Amino acid sequence: MEDEAFTDINGKAISLDCQDHSSFCREFTVSSPKVSIGKVMGYTCSVWLIAYSVFFFTQNTAVLSSAIVVTLVGMMLHIHFVKVDHESLLVIGSLGIQVSYSYASGRETTTFIEMSKIKDIVINEAIYMHQIIYYLCVLLKDPSNSDGVSSVVPLFQSSKPRLNCLVKVYKSCQEILSKC
Amino acid sequence: MGQRRRGAALNASSQTKCGTPAEVSGRKHNICMVSDFFYPNMGGVESHIYQLSQCLIEKGHKVIIITHAYGRRKGIRYLTNGLKVYYLPLQVMYNQSTATTCFHSLPLLRCVFIRERITVVHAHSSFSAMAHDALFHAKTMGLNTVFTDHSLFGFADVSSVLTNKLLTVSLCDTNHIVCVSYTSKENTVLRATLNPEIVSVIPNAVDPTDFTPDPSQRQDDRITIVVISRLVYRKGIDLLGGIIPELCLKHPDLHFLIGGEGPKRIVLEEVREKYQLHDRVRLLGALEHKDVRGVLVQGHIFLNTSLTEAFCMAIVEGASCGLQVVSTRVGGIPEVLPEDLITLCEPTVRSLCAGLEAVIVRQRSGSVPSPASIHARVRNLYTWRNVAERTEKVYERVAGEEVLPLDRRLRRLRAHCGPVAGSIFAFVAVLDFLFLLLLQWLVPDQVMDVAVDATGPCGLWTQTPNSKEEIHAASAMRGSSGTQSSL
Repeated sequence: MEDEAFTDINGKAISLDCQDHSSFCREFTVSSPKVSIGKVMGYTCSVWLIAYSVFFFTQNTAVLSSAIVVTLVGMMLHIHFVKVDHESLLVIGSLGIQVSYSYASGRETTTFIEMSKIKDIVINEAIYMHQIIYYLCVLLKDPSNSDGVSSVVPLFQSSKPRLNCLVKVYKSCQEILSKC
Repeated sequence: MGQRRRGAALNASSQTKCGTPAEVSGRKHNICMVSDFFYPNMGGVESHIYQLSQCLIEKGHKVIIITHAYGRRKGIRYLTNGLKVYYLPLQVMYNQSTATTCFHSLPLLRCVFIRERITVVHAHSSFSAMAHDALFHAKTMGLNTVFTDHSLFGFADVSSVLTNKLLTVSLCDTNHIVCVSYTSKENTVLRATLNPEIVSVIPNAVDPTDFTPDPSQRQDDRITIVVISRLVYRKGIDLLGGIIPELCLKHPDLHFLIGGEGPKRIVLEEVREKYQLHDRVRLLGALEHKDVRGVLVQGHIFLNTSLTEAFCMAIVEGASCGLQVVSTRVGGIPEVLPEDLITLCEPTVRSLCAGLEAVIVRQRSGSVPSPASIHARVRNLYTWRNVAERTEKVYERVAGEEVLPLDRRLRRLRAHCGPVAGSIFAFVAVLDFLFLLLLQWLVPDQVMDVAVDATGPCGLWTQTPNSKEEIHAASAMRGSSGTQSSL
């Protein structure tokens, strides 16, 4: 089931893992590839080359030490706050939806949305940067108006899978949501 | 690789599922209408695009509309029958027209053209920078192009010389051009130095069911003249200011009903003040489209004083409501109505007064045809279905033509648009092509998802409404308003 090759909107390979815990509890995990050594080397080299050329003209060693600090801190911030390895969506019928992000550094953030607040899960279209993409989102109920939608929570925000992957997740989510 | 194969299989299955209607009525097109002007902005071009799209959808084509974002209305919206509208976040520069740099709109437009599998790009209005941009990019991408011109221009002043040059560049390699009247066709052919054979005339239309006569609304002890137009110089409001006192002195039972708003309102207010005509000249201010009929049916005579007009919708609406029409003989107006339904005058106060008096005399003697009979004649003159049929023929013709490859396009630009402008725009065309290659390398075509088809013969909206996806698609659309900011 998870052997199908999915890609994100930039054409990079991602994998989708569906786990059935029971008939009304299902977990979807989208994993993007790890930070590649080549990419780290590339960024580091470019920062250092710029630092060396600046150093060549200014003869100031502070430039070199700051380049080292910038690369180290930048890499740490990147893996701690930007780079998401796994994004998972746990749908439990009659209870709610839990969305968790695990970053490359090991940090995890989790949010839970109660079923009473959820109106529906839908696939929507949006203009993102210079592209128009599909994304999966949770519609939250408007407490004052039972038909209205108060806000939208986008899912799989960092991996941004393509439509075929979203449709698969959407269909199995709807199976569970329609039961309760 | 596997993914592409699966996509192909999916396409094939959807085609077999709904392939029958498409095969019966010939080839179907994926049409993209582009203009800066669309709802919520109101006007003739906007309603033209909307009505034409609806009729083309009815005929089984797939139609989408691209315009720029209006305030908080940005992203993707759906209108009646699954008509998809892209409100792209491009900067508005002047008069609801976007700024043009020839390049910055390419990534988004390319994305839309590819994901919707567009075959014909149809741009509207020569005032719209986005329409020209889209034509330019579509030609770079090798798509067929159609352009509709909705307005008349002069040749003498600096601004028209410049816009005419731009139009020449923009239209010199466009496949087909549509004008709304023969006068407009002459004007466009001269302005853009086009081959008249690739210019078609397809008039505008009115919805005859919206404009039905109702003689009971008239007051028979008086004669009412209705004027509905924007109160601007182009519409000849100064002439109207000369006509009102002259006719009101001669005919004590004459009343004027004037709908519309604009900078020339002050002229009419001055006339009303000077000749003490407050009880006989009523200024209604801006009217919404739905209220127009209610005003029209109160009158006996419809007066149009335009100084320039490509195709006058207002006189068709007036005649459709059963009014006697008096108009100036300018632009495309003489072609619009048959001679016995309209009284044409020169654009001078004296000529218009003479024309109006002749009609008033006929109205008094009761020798005018009844409103119902006028309506019956006008009803079938201009319908949107007819417009859509004729536009469809243009698409058929265009789809068979080839799009000029880059080298021939450059040669044509240099040969057609003069040595300086031609060379500049040939250079721009080369840059645009290189930019397209860069984008194709950054985001390859096969990475973009094909959009779910909401309109046309295979559209989700035309299938049975119990399918679950559709309901969710609908709710997704409702939820789309606030989503862009959150991403």
